[in-house]
Amino acid sequence: MAKRYTCLVCRNEIAHPNAECPYCRSRSVIAEGASPRILGMVFGVMIGVFVLTGFYAKSFKQERTTRGEHHFGVAEGLLAQGEHATAIKEYRNALSYAKEEPQYRLGLAEALFQDEQYAETENHLVDLRGQDPTSGILNYLLAQLAARQGRVDEAVSYYRTAIHARWDGETDRTLDRRLEVRLELVDLLETQGREQQLTAELIALAQIIPDDQELQHRLGALMLQTGLYDRASSLFRTLLESDPQDHEALLGRGEAEFQLGNYLTARTQYNRARLLHDDSSTNERIALCNRIIELDPTRRGISLSERYRRSRVLIDRARDATLTCQNPHGDTFVGPLVALSVDLANALQIADNSLSERPGRATDEAVEANTLIAEELWQQAQPLCEASSPPDPPLMHVMAKLSR
Amino acid sequence: MNTVREFLAKLSSMGKSGPVLDEPQRFLLLSIIIGVFSGLVVVCFHISIEVLNWITIHSLAPGAKYLTPLWPALGGLAAYLLVHFVVPTARGTGVNYTKTAVYASDGYIPFRSVLGKFFTCTLSIGTGNPMGPEDPALQMGAGIASLLGRVFHLTREHMRLIAPIGAAAGIGAAFNTPIAAVLFVMEEVMSAWNAGVLGSIVLSAVSAVVVSRWFLGDEVLYQVPEIEVGDYSELLLYAAIGAVGGWLSALFCRHAIKLRGRILKLPDRRRIWLPAVAGLTVGVVGIFAPETLGAGYQVIDGALHDRFPWNLLLVMGLLKLLSSALCFGCGTPGGLFAPTLFVGAMLGGGLAGLAQLVWPLSTSSVGAYVLVGIGVFFAGVFRAPMTSVFMVFELSASYVVILPVMIANTIAILVSRRMEHESVFQLSAYQDGLELPSIEDRRETPALNVEDAMLRTRDLVVSDRISVSEALAVIESAQSEALLVEVRYGQWRWIGKRELERARDNGDGDSTLRETMKMWPVTRTYPDVPLDQAMRNLAIYPTLPVTSRVNPSFLLGTLTLADVHRAYGITSREPEAKPSNTGPASA
Repeated sequence: MAKRYTCLVCRNEIAHPNAECPYCRSRSVIAEGASPRILGMVFGVMIGVFVLTGFYAKSFKQERTTRGEHHFGVAEGLLAQGEHATAIKEYRNALSYAKEEPQYRLGLAEALFQDEQYAETENHLVDLRGQDPTSGILNYLLAQLAARQGRVDEAVSYYRTAIHARWDGETDRTLDRRLEVRLELVDLLETQGREQQLTAELIALAQIIPDDQELQHRLGALMLQTGLYDRASSLFRTLLESDPQDHEALLGRGEAEFQLGNYLTARTQYNRARLLHDDSSTNERIALCNRIIELDPTRRGISLSERYRRSRVLIDRARDATLTCQNPHGDTFVGPLVALSVDLANALQIADNSLSERPGRATDEAVEANTLIAEELWQQAQPLCEASSPPDPPLMHVMAKLSR
Repeated sequence: MNTVREFLAKLSSMGKSGPVLDEPQRFLLLSIIIGVFSGLVVVCFHISIEVLNWITIHSLAPGAKYLTPLWPALGGLAAYLLVHFVVPTARGTGVNYTKTAVYASDGYIPFRSVLGKFFTCTLSIGTGNPMGPEDPALQMGAGIASLLGRVFHLTREHMRLIAPIGAAAGIGAAFNTPIAAVLFVMEEVMSAWNAGVLGSIVLSAVSAVVVSRWFLGDEVLYQVPEIEVGDYSELLLYAAIGAVGGWLSALFCRHAIKLRGRILKLPDRRRIWLPAVAGLTVGVVGIFAPETLGAGYQVIDGALHDRFPWNLLLVMGLLKLLSSALCFGCGTPGGLFAPTLFVGAMLGGGLAGLAQLVWPLSTSSVGAYVLVGIGVFFAGVFRAPMTSVFMVFELSASYVVILPVMIANTIAILVSRRMEHESVFQLSAYQDGLELPSIEDRRETPALNVEDAMLRTRDLVVSDRISVSEALAVIESAQSEALLVEVRYGQWRWIGKRELERARDNGDGDSTLRETMKMWPVTRTYPDVPLDQAMRNLAIYPTLPVTSRVNPSFLLGTLTLADVHRAYGITSREPEAKPSNTGPASA
């Protein structure tokens, strides 16, 4: 019996599936062939192919993962042994099986970095960072890379992000890693002479530094280097509380107190340090302290007459220092001397006049007046003395203390 | 079970009750089915190529690299023998095959060609021949669509449209770039911007990509690094890359086609061995430059990440260019899509490295140049400007390089076209004796509009207050068969010569048209309307009023069939005007 076809629009009989309907003149898209049976068959086949493809793809993926892991393992081993070139090859092989595996790419980036292939390293790291901007290790590696390429600002930025970032897989070592990163940042800032940024980092570092003597010594030294004397003093004092025989801490505290103008305390610390280890630099420091202490008219506990005497000595030494600055070569020099500015000449004249007068009665006012004369002269002489080496270190320290 | 049956019944619009899917909806549903099937097949194809690659090239021990040439040679030979003796329909490029199906065989693509492409291309690409899987995937998609179209008994019109839908699905799944797939099919396969089928093509491409990602994961073909484009002066460098790429792509097309032509003239018994020879050559090159083996996606990835020095990039690009031209010429199954991208990437990256040495200003990252190179060479070889731009955009997921890509691609196409007028597909089609349309040909033929044919006078327009005799005088002087009668400002009707003569013969010669004549309504047209569309109206109305779009009551002129003939240059044989004594209903 011949097969019958019907129009899908008007349900009238049509000659064959592709024929134009003589009644409604429509051409059906899915004609008799698309009966539920055919459509069901098509969906059935689709599901069958889907399942088969699923099995095929699953076993393919498994094999790919296995191969990738194998190459990754080999690469990790090679990298640990320092065989960078072979490790890179293996990482690439691993990546060819799992292109988007971040661990493989990170491994490759590390190997490339160690092999000094910076351009490609950076591309991979930037890629990875795009996917995971808060990863500590990625930011840390990018920081190292930028630092090595001399891009300090970028490196600082990456280091700072790394400090506050996430350190996956190292939960118990997160604080250690952050500290390591911060110390590297501090090193970088120190090398680059970025005092202001270094100061900020040191202050932050002091808050989190663990109970590690060596680290604390280093931090204290950096604080001294950047002028954080009070913090350095406090740090070394804490260290000395736990170990009064800590030679390095004694020297550190002595230096901090010296810089803060506390010469007596500094001398005490230096003396204690000398008891533990007698060396020339400590002795020189003690001698300097002694000379400063002997010259300082503001020192507590000395009599008014002694203060008065010291104030006159201060004028005298300031005058001598000025003249030395004017003629560093001494009496042998026959050429014309450096012309003094009007203010300096006036200050020198006032100092001369003051010294030529007979010493009067020692009063607080007289001490104050002498000190001011010495200070004024020292201040006016500074431009002249900057060109030559400081002629009188104790005077310089006392003047610095007075100006503070 | 009943619910499923009801659902299927509704889907197939066979249900007696409930909503019935109309024709476009059913066509869209079929597009999704095609997309899913194509996606599944392409996933299997992709996996098979990779697995074969593991088994062959990757399994070679480091000390046995000298055996590398054996695999591409054997693979090429086996694939060619299969094509020659078992599945001749799997021969040639998928684009041309699909185009032939669209324009010459009512969308018919034998399913055997799908299987043939699958196995032959797996053999050739999987063993390291430097060809790509995209073009075969395109043909597989088209073949699957054709099969489904036959299963669903589609009409001839829809059968013609179904192959490009499958082609988009195939290429979309293979390249994981749905937008580029859609554009490529529009530009290369359909050679026209067909809005009617665009929705179906998009649907099928998207469903194929979804299926592909479902099984193979979301990973993109290339991991494109973060790209920064430098100074605007650098656009000169990109333009230079466009020029070099265009020149090189034209040379590639010319010589690959020339080689193919010479090989096609050889007797079969000699031609059979050539894919093996090509494979052997490719393999020997592969011993020293293993990056040139296979599709080479990973190498492009490496170039994007600045892995290779510029000189190595240029060498690899050149080697790939030669080896893929050799394989294409010798008839090794596989597509040109991937090798084109490879050569472009290497060219872009290599020139970038060179530019960084000599360019006085700062330059962009190498990745940007690699992407531009990809677009340039692709545009030069395939002459698909839109695809080349959007492909780069889709690959990089960034607008940053769009401006350089647009500039470089345009220059590449101009240079390439100047040197070689046709694209590689067009040239190979000619070689195979096919005259297939291309989008460039179509662009070059200007379409005529009403304004190109219309008569810009009111010679054929009269008022309804004039007498029948006067109207007859006008119609005779204009040598027309009909007149437009203005019954009110901005309203016209038409009247035939024969009716006027009949009225005169009946003694109504002095009566006005309004009093005596029955006049027929007429539709208006506009100057920008294509003549093709206007002619459909001329089949009903002998004369059309052409009015302004701004003021539709203002008559600009008239259009008759004679005017259309004149515009098309048909002057020797003036067609006889149809007697129009009937109204539009009977017409």
